[in-house]
Parts: sequence; C-alpha cells; structure tokens
Amino acid sequence: MLFAQILVDGVLLGGLYGLMALGMALVWGVLNIVNLAHGAFIMLGGYVVYFLFVAGLDPFAALPIAMLALFALGYVIQRGLLNLIVRSALLNTLLFTFGLNVVLTYLAQLLFSADFRTINPSYAGANVTLAGVTVPLAWLAAFLVAVLLAGLLQLLLDRSRLGRAIRATAQNLDAARLYGVDPRQIYAVTFGIGAALAGTAGGLYGLVAQITPYIGATLTAKSFVIAIIGGLENPLLVILGGIVIGLAEALASLYLGPTYSDVISFGLLVLILVLRPARSLKLA
Amino acid sequence: MKWRWLALAPVLAVLAGVPWLGDAVLIQFGINALLIATLAQSWNILGGFTGYVSFGNSAFYGLGAYGTAIAMAQWHQPFWLGLALGAVLAVVVAAVLGGPILRLRGPYFAIVTLGISAALSALFANLDIAGKNIGLILPLTRDDAMFYELSLGLLAAATVAVAWIARSRFGIALIAIRENEDAAAAVGVDATRYKLAALILAAVFTALAGGIHAYWITFIDPAGSFDTTLDVRMVIMTMFGGPGTVFGPVIGAFVLSAIYEVLANGISTAAALFFGLVILLAVIFLPKGLIDLGGGFRALGWRYFLANIERHRL
Amino acid sequence: MTKTMVLAGMMVVLAGASAFGADPPRSISLGASLQLTGQDANTGRYYRDAYNIAIDQINQAGGVKIAGKSIPIALKLLDNQSDTNLSVRQYVQLVTDDKVDFLLGPYASGATLPTSSIAEKYEIPMVEGGGASPQIFSRGYKFIFGTLPPADDYFASIIAMLGQLQPKAKTAALVAADDAFDVSVAKGTRKLLAEAGIEIVVDQTYAAKTTDFSSIMAQIKAKAPDIVLWGGLEPEVLNAIRQAKGLDTGAKLMMSFTVGVPTADFRQALGKDAEDAFGMTAWLPSPTLKDDWFGDAAQFAAAWKAKFGYDPDYHAAAGVAAVEALVKGIESADTLDRAKVRDAIAKSDFASLYARVRFNEGGQIVVPQIVIQIQNGEVTPIYTDHFITKPIFPVPPWGQRG
Repeated sequence: MLFAQILVDGVLLGGLYGLMALGMALVWGVLNIVNLAHGAFIMLGGYVVYFLFVAGLDPFAALPIAMLALFALGYVIQRGLLNLIVRSALLNTLLFTFGLNVVLTYLAQLLFSADFRTINPSYAGANVTLAGVTVPLAWLAAFLVAVLLAGLLQLLLDRSRLGRAIRATAQNLDAARLYGVDPRQIYAVTFGIGAALAGTAGGLYGLVAQITPYIGATLTAKSFVIAIIGGLENPLLVILGGIVIGLAEALASLYLGPTYSDVISFGLLVLILVLRPARSLKLA
Repeated sequence: MKWRWLALAPVLAVLAGVPWLGDAVLIQFGINALLIATLAQSWNILGGFTGYVSFGNSAFYGLGAYGTAIAMAQWHQPFWLGLALGAVLAVVVAAVLGGPILRLRGPYFAIVTLGISAALSALFANLDIAGKNIGLILPLTRDDAMFYELSLGLLAAATVAVAWIARSRFGIALIAIRENEDAAAAVGVDATRYKLAALILAAVFTALAGGIHAYWITFIDPAGSFDTTLDVRMVIMTMFGGPGTVFGPVIGAFVLSAIYEVLANGISTAAALFFGLVILLAVIFLPKGLIDLGGGFRALGWRYFLANIERHRL
Repeated sequence: MTKTMVLAGMMVVLAGASAFGADPPRSISLGASLQLTGQDANTGRYYRDAYNIAIDQINQAGGVKIAGKSIPIALKLLDNQSDTNLSVRQYVQLVTDDKVDFLLGPYASGATLPTSSIAEKYEIPMVEGGGASPQIFSRGYKFIFGTLPPADDYFASIIAMLGQLQPKAKTAALVAADDAFDVSVAKGTRKLLAEAGIEIVVDQTYAAKTTDFSSIMAQIKAKAPDIVLWGGLEPEVLNAIRQAKGLDTGAKLMMSFTVGVPTADFRQALGKDAEDAFGMTAWLPSPTLKDDWFGDAAQFAAAWKAKFGYDPDYHAAAGVAAVEALVKGIESADTLDRAKVRDAIAKSDFASLYARVRFNEGGQIVVPQIVIQIQNGEVTPIYTDHFITKPIFPVPPWGQRG
C-alpha cells in the first residue's frame, strides 16, 4: 500500500510540476529564451487566484481570470522589454530575465507583504480512498487541469493558424516574415501564453502549498529540470517529464530519505544532459 | 605597452595600503569586493574568452569553502592546508566533469553547470563530515588585514593570469573557440583541451576565494556556499565591466559592489529591487559592458545606447 | 590627496576625543540586522516590531539610567533580505561604521550562528531572541546571550503531558527539517522519547523549505503511530498539515508542531484545519508576568495589538526581553563599558513580561515550554507541570474537528 500510495502521489504532483514547466518549455523552444522569471509568473498567478478566492470566488473559477491576467502581463513584458534584447547574446537574455525575476519578486513583497497566503477552500482536504490508496481530490483536479491544458496547447500548435505562425517563427524568423507573420506579435503572444500557463500552475500550486513572494526561484529550477527531461518538442511529453520528476523525488524520498530529493532531481538533470547532448529540444 | 603595466604599481600600492589607511568598514567592503572581483575574473577565463557561459562556478567556490572548513573545523589543520585541499577538490571535480560537460553548448552548458552546483549543494547537505545542512563553524580570527591582503593577492594573481592569457597563444585559441568552435577545430585547435584548461584554471582561483571567505566569515552552509545568486553576481559583474577583457571584470565588480553596498545600507529594503533594475538597464543599454562604453560613447555620443538597442531588438 | 587625508585624520582624532570625553553619552545606540524582506520576513517582522516597541516604551519612561542620568536609546535597523552573508556584513558595518554600542540579534538559529561570531570578534554584547539552537551557546563565546529556551527541550513538556493522559502513547513518528534549530529539536526529542518509553517508528529528516511531504505522510500512514511530533519552520508546518488532511494521514492520538501553532497566521491560513493541533510556546500574555516597563504581559499584548494590528507571540516577547536584558545590564553595570555590561548581563536576574530572565553558563535562558492546543479557534494553554485546561485528547479524525 505504501508503495502504491507514493506512486499515486508522485504522479499527481508530477502532473502539476509538468504544467509549471510547460510555459517555460514553450518560450524556450520558440523564442530561444530561458526565462528565469518563469517562477515569478507562477507566483503572481498564485496571488491572483488567492485574492479572487478571498473575494469569494471558487479557485477553479478564478483560474481562467488568472490566465488572462498573466497573459496580458506576459504580452506587455515581451512587447515592451524583452523584444528590445531578444537578439542579444544568450548571456544577456539570461541576465535580463534574472533581473526581471528580482524586480517582480520584490515588487510582490512590497505590494503583498511576505505573509503566507493559502488557498484553502472547504474541499481542499477532501479525498477518496480506492483500494487503500488515498487520492486528494484537489491534487487530482490539478493533475487533470494540467493534462487538459497540455492537450489544448498541442491542438493549438498543430491545428490553428496561430499555431502554424508560432511554429514558423520558431523555425526561421525571416521565413516567417515572408509569410506575412509579424514576429514581434508572435513572440509577445507566445510569451503571453507561457505566462498564462505559469499563472494557472500558480493558482493550482496555492491549493497544495503556500504562496509567498519567494516561491519563484525554486519553481523556476524545477521547471527547468522538467523542460530538459520532457524536451521542448511536445506539450504532453513535458507533463510526462513532470511525472518522471514527481516519481523520482517520491521514490528518492522513500528509499534514500527526504533530504535526497534535490540530489536526485539535479543529478538526473546533469546525467540526462551529459548522456544525450545532441538531442533536439524544440517545442513546436 | 610595458609602461602601462608600470602605471598600475601605485594603484596596487594604494590598494595594499588600505588596511593601514582605511577604517574597518572599508577593509570589510574591500575584502568582499576583492573576492567577488576574483570570482568575476575567474569566470572571465572561461566565460569571457571562450563564450561558455557557466552558471555553476559556485560549485568550485563551495568546494573551496568546504575544503577549508572541513580541514580546519573537523581535522584541526592549519588554514593554508585547508585552502590547498579546497583547491584540489575543485580541480578534481573540474577535471572529471569538464570533459563531458564541455561538449554541451549554449544554454545546455549553462544549465548543466547550474545543475552541478545545485546537486553538490544538496549532496553536501547530506554529508556528516560537512555538518549536513547546518554547516560548519570555523575558528575565529580577528586579523582582517591578513584576509584583505590575501584577497588582494589572489585577485592580482587571477588578473595576471588573464593578462597573460589575453596575449598568449592559449588565449588566441580560446577566442577562436568563442568565435567559431567548429572552424577552430578544423584548423587544428584542440578545443577540448583548451576549454578544459580554462575551466580548471577558473576552478582554482574560484576555490581559493571560497576558502578565504569561509575562514573570514567563520561559518559556511550549503545554501551560502553553492549559492546561485553568487553565480549570477559574477556573471553580471563581468558583463557589466566587459567580458573577455583584462580589467573589465574587476572594474565591473568594484562598481557594482559599491552600488550594492550603498543601496543595502542606505535604503535597505528596496536595495534588491533597485539592483534588479540596474541589471535590466545594463542589459538594455550596455550589453558590452563599461569597457566598451568609453570608445563607443566617444564615437557615437548618446546614440551609443540607442545603437545597442537597435542591434539587439526584434 | 594629502590635504584630505590630514583633514580626515583630524576628524578621526576629534571624534575619538569626544567619545572618550568625560561627558556621559547623549544616547545609547543599539543595532540589528533583520529579515525585513526575503524568505524569513514573515517572522522577521516580529523582531522589528519588538525592538521598536520596547525601545519606545523605555524611552518614554526616561531611558536608561547611568550615573544618575537618564539616557535615551537609539535603534539602527538594517534589512538583510534573509541573506545570511549580507547579515554578517551588516553586523560588521553596525559595529565599525555606525559604531553602535550594543547589538540585538537577527531571527532564527541559522542567521544567529554566524552573526554572533561578529559580536564575539569585536567583543560587543549581543542579546538575541531569535536563535534557540544550543550550537550558538556551546562555542565558549562570552558575548552572546539568547532569550529563547534551548531547542532540545521543545517537546519536553508535551512528552511529560502525554505521560499523564489516557490512553498512553506507545509509538511516535518524529519528523524534522534539517536546519540548525530543528536538528537540535530532533536530537533532544529522541532522547526524551526514549526516556518516556515511547518507541519511534518513523524517524525522518527532510530538507528545509520542502513543500511536498507526500512520501513522509505515506510512511506515517503505513506505521500508524500514536503521536506525531513535527519540528519545522512555519511554512513547512502549514504544508504538512494541509497535506496530512488531503492524504487522510494522522496520528491515533495527537500531532504536535514546534513552530506555528501559537501564531495568528497559523489559525488564519488553516482555518478549521488548525483545530486540535498541539504546539508549545515559551510565553503566553498572562497578567501574572510582571514587567518594569509594560506593567504586565497582558497589558503588553494589548499595547502591541493596538500599535501593530496583530497579536504578539513568543518571538515578540523574546525580542522585547532581549532589549530589556541589555538595558538592565547597562543599568546595573552603570557604564557603557562593554566588558562590564557583558558581565552584568551574565548575572541578569529580573522579572519581565516574557519570563524570569536568567542566563545559563553558555548565555541561554532556561524557560519551560507551555503546551498549547487550538480549541475553537483559540490558542488554549493546556499544560505546564500541571493541567491548565482539559485537552481534546485523543484528537478526532480529520473532518470531525472544530
């Protein structure tokens, strides 16, 4: 039972981690920007859902609003700031998003204080027990939302005009221009989608853990690892990458002890990169 | 060319005199600025010359700190032996991991280095001999002048090393790798060996800085030793001054340390916020660092900043 | 260049002359570097508010009495952004640049360990109310004093209480973070449990700042212990309780946490899920705790709430006690001479709103913990060496609480 319980926990939380990484993988694949402010978007999404929850809205009903808000923020940041340096060296885009992370984090501290915020609706602790395994309903719902959004992103990229434009831009800027696509617009929309996905993940994260202005850095690191493991090719594979990390951490915690889970996830990251360096990692 | 080096002698003399001329705050600031400048300068050896952006040099810093701390706190050995142990640890790790990771390029190299530092941090948090996550307490020494002069000596050594690299065949090979690695390999540059040598050299200086800092601050733990913000700081400082130059990283480190210190002690709470803004502005307006500003500004005036944006915008 | 240096030299001499002059000082400056932003800002603010309210109150009462004169206190606070290394640098700055007379501590054992080395290095007394790890006080340092009781004993009164309750607890799960404070807690608790004849069936240490406790919960569930004792910082404890409920994990009899339970945050964040949780506090705002400046602890709590808009907890009271211990030390030494003040603080013995302040050999206070439980949304004192209120015991399962 213990083993089955740990597997179920790992898969459910892993799905949520995968959703966190999804936006990062998209932006990375299309814009070639490793967004170190990604965790800050997750954090801000958490705050949007928290304040709507406090105002009386159900957290799941608040998720679409958080998505829209973060999309707008992401769009504006890419259009107004990141587009200014997007062709600069890799080093510069890394530094820029790091600076952005610092600014967003400390603005959140000034605006929202360092208090712990908890999204704790009456059903947050509800669960069902199947064959001796307890499944928290909030985690299950978060997992399903993650899979649903990854599927929708896949559809968007494969089937829609916007998706084709995004894929064209990812492959070749000049070619995209020839087909009448404005890369500035596509970059901003893609970054907005990435931020929106992060915001949704943040709202769901608030159901599992606390939100403070400082949760971003760790979640960026986690998203990073998952994006590498899941690859940048396929949204559903990113969710799978999240599940792999969720399971690896749960099993490491069980067999080696809970202080080893970071050794395992970062060790896995190094190993995968070193063993499969030539792998293409493009999403879209 | 020679006389320009002689002009540095009085600067060095004044810097060396700080413990006798300045007050404790200046010495304190000096030790910090010299050590972070050493980190930036070491980062410059690989990052500035070959363009391999490491976000994990804190791994070597942490190994240097732990080598020193374990030797002193656990084995009751003298400081210099600890420093040596830390440097050896860093060289071993750089030599063993350097081969496989230096095959990675672009963001993948940056990420793998970050991963190594994070994994080492988590690993040391589980080692009994390293005091697990609580860390180690080193013996207390009141001799700040010694720490200052050691830090200054280390920075001078790192800078001499970089100056030599900049003028040697070694440096030319490194720059060739930065400009086009495949082409460099095609004309017979043994890229792997050069990159590995640069990484090991960077690791030694970084580890020594970590060891000096550990003894000075008398306390180390995994989070403070394998510290990602330290990685970002050394990169920012190098970039702010001018990567791939001899004095850029040192100037960048001194200027940014001074700004940060003033902010942290003056407006305290908003300091981090302003530091973030400084980074954003620097990347937008000064993507090639302060060293490039002099010539660029003379040539273009204020349009220099707009030209930088024009070059990198979409 | 030389001119400015001569000028600077003259200023130094002048400054020195005034410092060593016969006049008594016009104010006494205390300095501290606190977590006002960053990870630990949520608890760091207790110390900012505690130092401020204590110094305001003392100044209103005329200040510190030295050689028949009353001297006001000035406070210099810096924000270390929850960065330990920055905190160390700021303490050096406080000592060397701001030239503060005495030091107050930062929050938590992790930051107090290295910063107390600065106090020792410059031989300046530091009284802190934020670090409870015995490691801080076992280095033979002379200039560090702490007003939080030793971490090893945090669960002592809980375990003593369990001995008096039916049904008897026979098995325990002990879970602790790997930070300086909680490692000490776990170490002390293992010994206490063995002495009480309670078997430890789950003994887990997790990495500080962990947010996912699902595998620990699964192990607790598999072993079904009578009690769960949890040592962790507040955000970890909040996560643990929410995940315990979601995963329907609990102890047969009770769960207790080192940190969090006495704070207003805890009840606010968890709502009904906070019900019946056991915890401990070294301090409750009781009118029986008399104080020279605030009257008593109840009046202090009311003044605090009126001034800052939230309830004080033991961090707040320990912070105020740190300021009072310094002031009492200065007054009884009757000088600002740091070595003499240090000796006077070591001999402290006075009643305060926090507790009777007396330091042991290492410089740490010894105060018993009061067992508390959340009952009907209130922090309820349960047990010291006798029962104060009847505990809800065994605790009902999740979903039937409150």
